[in-house]
Amino acid sequence: MATATATGAVYDRGYRPYDGPRGGRGAATLALYRASIRRALGLRRSWRQKVAPFVLLGIVTIPAIVNVGIAYITRNQLGRRIEFITYREYVGVSSALLVFVALTAPDIICPDRRQRVLPLLFARPLTGIDYVAAKVGALFSILFAFSFLPQVVLFVGQALVSDSALDYTRDNLDVVWKVPVSVVLLAVFYAVVGIAIASLASRRIVAGASFIGLFLVSSITAGILVGGDEDGRVLAGSPAALISVLRLPLYLRDLVFLGQVDAGSPLNGVPNGGLAAVLAYLCVLGLGIAVLLNRYRWTER
Amino acid sequence: MESVPLLRINALTKRYGAVTALDSLSVDVPDGRVGIVGANGAGKTTLFRILLGLARPTEGSVEVSGANVSHDPIAVRSRLGYMPEHECLPLDQTAADVVATFGELSGLPVRAARQRASDVLDLVGLDDARFRPIGGFSTGMRQRAKLAQALVGDPRLVLLDEPTAGLDPAGREEMLALVARLGTFGISVLMSTHLLDDVQRVCDYVVMIDGGRLVVAGPTDSLLERTGTVTVDVGDEEAAARLAAAVVAGGMSAEAVDGLVQVTVAGDDDLDRIRDTVAALGLPLYRLGSRLTSLDEVFFERAAR
Repeated sequence: MATATATGAVYDRGYRPYDGPRGGRGAATLALYRASIRRALGLRRSWRQKVAPFVLLGIVTIPAIVNVGIAYITRNQLGRRIEFITYREYVGVSSALLVFVALTAPDIICPDRRQRVLPLLFARPLTGIDYVAAKVGALFSILFAFSFLPQVVLFVGQALVSDSALDYTRDNLDVVWKVPVSVVLLAVFYAVVGIAIASLASRRIVAGASFIGLFLVSSITAGILVGGDEDGRVLAGSPAALISVLRLPLYLRDLVFLGQVDAGSPLNGVPNGGLAAVLAYLCVLGLGIAVLLNRYRWTER
Repeated sequence: MESVPLLRINALTKRYGAVTALDSLSVDVPDGRVGIVGANGAGKTTLFRILLGLARPTEGSVEVSGANVSHDPIAVRSRLGYMPEHECLPLDQTAADVVATFGELSGLPVRAARQRASDVLDLVGLDDARFRPIGGFSTGMRQRAKLAQALVGDPRLVLLDEPTAGLDPAGREEMLALVARLGTFGISVLMSTHLLDDVQRVCDYVVMIDGGRLVVAGPTDSLLERTGTVTVDVGDEEAAARLAAAVVAGGMSAEAVDGLVQVTVAGDDDLDRIRDTVAALGLPLYRLGSRLTSLDEVFFERAAR
């Protein structure tokens, strides 16, 4: 139908039914995953929302670039090759990642509850488990990418400035699997704990502060209980080190890289310290998942 | 073969502790535009929550187009749209993004979701505002955006919870016109409201509930019984007063109300007498029709039984 006027015509296009392909739970979960990634990265949002993620990416990549740069400058000085960061230390070393989780996890969770979007989401072919999987998956993917990409920069850069890229690659072949495995362990942990804490608050600032608070307080408490010398070096390991939520994924990182607890770690010397770290890691992860599944049960909301 | 009703509600009971929200509700509802009517606390929202699979019935069952909501909520929700009464849209995103995302969440591929988002925003009159953040929308525009997200997945059934709540008279008219159009698109509508006038205007079928129990259900026309009274429109209040006096003088019962004359009639002969009286007075006759009961009268009369 068209209504003619002196300047043109207004067309009522009516309603066109959709008869194309239609996905189910998997498609809905994937859609929520994509929407959460877009939100976390600030895509299709104002430029202010894009600042935090891309500044973080820059910050976490700087050590790799500096390391490669120094290696390039010192490439011709025999016996004086300087590497100020190792692949192991580069996993989870940046506190910028923690700040990013504290900003992003609440941003992709809290508005759904505060702006009462959840009933709309659960009116779609989506269950509580799907919702949790999409949100945790989105944060995990970004954390993995932001932790792994700098490692790629470091590896490729080091290989290129070395005398022989092939020799460098052969000599460091173990990091090809050790880095992604430890980054996965770190990203899963941060994503689950960050989303779980965010799910308990409706205000973003409360959720973010709670996340940082948990990591800081548990780390300080563990530090006090374990003790050390005047320079902060650990003299004797203690099981109390497991209280530190901050260090749990780093203990697992050390197990992946070294096959044992690091000699300078607060867990060093604790009988079965590695096993205890794995169990503590799994306990925190399990608790986070239990909180999330309970929070997003699909009925009786 | 017996056709499958849009909704088959069978002995549905929902209790929250000592509170019974729905009490042995049984009704079959056909396709079309259906009004769920009841006062606040009548059980309308509980019924919607059960239909969406967000609450489990204590007893009884609900089927949507033959699919049991408790057994297969995902299948039911895959072809269902929902427009809640409350604010529910992300305020910092554009209408186009929000509606497209809900299209994807309904199972549509990305490109199809974006295309349909554009189409339904155009349909609800938000085509010019689709790239604006929803936080800057008026109440009426937000209601339209809520309707758009409910329609983007091309649902077979759309649940509208108080769609005219908070709207000014013009916004209400526009929303009701949109709801009335949905029936012509092959989309069934289940509209929950406490505004009986809204239902009377756009719904083909009415389900009235009170205190969680069924009051009455049936086609809107069948509930609006003839009252034995005709309404005569002769133009203005003065003419109505003259006609009422003349009709009473002729031995019939009549009164002028709001510029119209309501006359109690016994048969077709009385209609002829009214016509002749109008002609004798030299008045214009704009309309002469049976007065129907309103849904308010039906509700209060049936609920009181």
